[in-house]
Amino acid sequence: MKPLLELQAVSVSFDGFLALNDLNLALAPGELRAVIGPNGAGKTTFLDVITGKVRPTRGDVLFRGKSLLGISEHRIARLGIGRKFQTPRVYQNLTPRRNLELAVKGSHSPFTLLLGRLSTEQRDRVQELLAVVGLEANASRPAGSLSHGQKQWLEIAMLLAQDPDLLLVDEPVAGLSDEETERTGELLRQLAGDHTVLVIEHDMDFIRELDCPVTVLHEGHVLCEGSMDEVQHDPRVIEVYLGVEDDDVSAGAPSAVASDSGSHQEIP
Amino acid sequence: MTITSNTSVTPAAFLRRWWPWIAIIAAALILPFILPPFRLNLLGRFLSLGIVALGIDLIWGYTGLLSLGQGIFFALGGYAIAMYLQLDSLEPGQLPEFFGLYGVKALPLFWQPFSSPWFTLVAIWVIPALVAGLLGYLVFRNRIKGVYFSILTQAALLVFFNFFNGQQKLINGTNGLKTDTASFFGQMVGSDAMQRNLFWVTVLLVIAAWTLCRWLTTGRFGDALIAVRDDEPRLRFTGYNPTAFKTVVFTVAGALAGISGALYTVQSGMVSPQFMAVPFSIEMVIWVAVGGRGTLIGAVLGAVLINYAKSLISEQLPETWLFIQGGLFLLVVTALPDGVVGWWRQGGPGRILAMLGSSPASATYPGLDLDPDVLAEKRAIEGRARAQESGASQPSGAER
Repeated sequence: MKPLLELQAVSVSFDGFLALNDLNLALAPGELRAVIGPNGAGKTTFLDVITGKVRPTRGDVLFRGKSLLGISEHRIARLGIGRKFQTPRVYQNLTPRRNLELAVKGSHSPFTLLLGRLSTEQRDRVQELLAVVGLEANASRPAGSLSHGQKQWLEIAMLLAQDPDLLLVDEPVAGLSDEETERTGELLRQLAGDHTVLVIEHDMDFIRELDCPVTVLHEGHVLCEGSMDEVQHDPRVIEVYLGVEDDDVSAGAPSAVASDSGSHQEIP
Repeated sequence: MTITSNTSVTPAAFLRRWWPWIAIIAAALILPFILPPFRLNLLGRFLSLGIVALGIDLIWGYTGLLSLGQGIFFALGGYAIAMYLQLDSLEPGQLPEFFGLYGVKALPLFWQPFSSPWFTLVAIWVIPALVAGLLGYLVFRNRIKGVYFSILTQAALLVFFNFFNGQQKLINGTNGLKTDTASFFGQMVGSDAMQRNLFWVTVLLVIAAWTLCRWLTTGRFGDALIAVRDDEPRLRFTGYNPTAFKTVVFTVAGALAGISGALYTVQSGMVSPQFMAVPFSIEMVIWVAVGGRGTLIGAVLGAVLINYAKSLISEQLPETWLFIQGGLFLLVVTALPDGVVGWWRQGGPGRILAMLGSSPASATYPGLDLDPDVLAEKRAIEGRARAQESGASQPSGAER
């Protein structure tokens, strides 16, 4: 099957520092994929490249076979790529309902917003999403006064309102209670299939629960891919997460790099 | 609550809902006959400044764009009407007086369309709007924002100021153009009767401008403006192009500034490059800050009250005004971040009364009843009840 999203040998250099280094990754339509990696592995830069915020120094990003390079952020979003930020980003001074009314799928030109009205379909969709994320009772107070978990959910609802083909979700369960985390996992699993979902997360239990292929990023490239169990027992992953004893550094590090260059050839 | 849910409108309910408008209309009709012409003229001038302030509230209060260059568009509107009035009061074949001083024999080409009243009526707002639209588009497309945007607009203001100052042969340079001795519909523009008519025109246009801004800010478009102010990247990743929204709203503010400048010019008797002086454009921002950002009515009130205070105080104690103005600005920055109107809406007067010892009537224990937390809770519960009551029939009713 043709991949929905494909990153081909993408490198991003910030003044000589390689935030992404020859990164290759492909997502099949309908796939749910988790991306993990230690701090500074380039996870957020990776999303910035896909959504057009950062232009890669080298390499190409293909969405449905077409290059995204040089396309502005809002056009990429309209092509069907939605993004949830690491910290919840909602419009604090607007109510949840109005937040969703801005995000709901449809024309986003100033003149439509000024002269057009929301269709019944759009209104129903907003109402439905408020119910999905349990914010019906709080629909009319400023989003800034919601709790952290409610803001996370509101932002996820905004993402759903956009109805993108590809959802990029950055740390959706940071700061959520166990119960909320469980519900978020359930929601993401439901979405996969109709949508392609890429989740970046630190919470290993959450990722295990998602039960999906995992990609490990390290120093801007793909270290390995596989199921959570495979990944967790991979010595290279253990090494980058836990570090190695001092004498192994000189011997271990080069071999890890060598086997990496092998590992991205496995990727379609 | 009982009143709004009741469909038949009692006179009391009608009064309660419409009293501000009734008061405004009554004042507009009566004031011209009780105020001396000089005071009426001042009020008219300051009301016209309210229109440029409305534009600033739109771009700054709602969209977060602090422009220090609204004087450009204000002056362009003023020059447009002044050029028309200069030409309109001439005998055929004559040239405006000042051209003689600089040896200009033929009317410059760009003056010629201004002999048409219709062209002028359109030019007053379209020329500033076009300049604002172009300037805005270039700036916003390059993602210049925050303090860089403010500096850039001020720099643009200085460019225009120096250009207009230097063009003696085209627009009489530093001296500006006089309008009070020009004739309009066979009457002198500076005459009392004409000034009274201009006062009414100003009142109507202030109401129209307020209605326009209100319309722009209440629907989804207004929500998008607030979203640009609060989190522009988020809006961009939702598929919106913020450049388009900012350009549209900056263009509207430019048009409003042009109308304001034209009305101010005909009521103050002349237009000059001083309209584009740096301090004047900063003062405009202060009116909005003191009146209340993001409140619309605060912009008009700020413009009128501060300018009226300025003229009254300057008559008595000419040296003190700048200190008072500075003090007002400091007061707003430190104590009233939402301006006077924002403070009023958040129940400020009640707090002052409470501080002075007269506590509002309370049904239970004052210590409990007036506790801010309890009040907030009460409001939240009432809000929820209202939301449930109105239900899905009014999903996006006025929440602000």
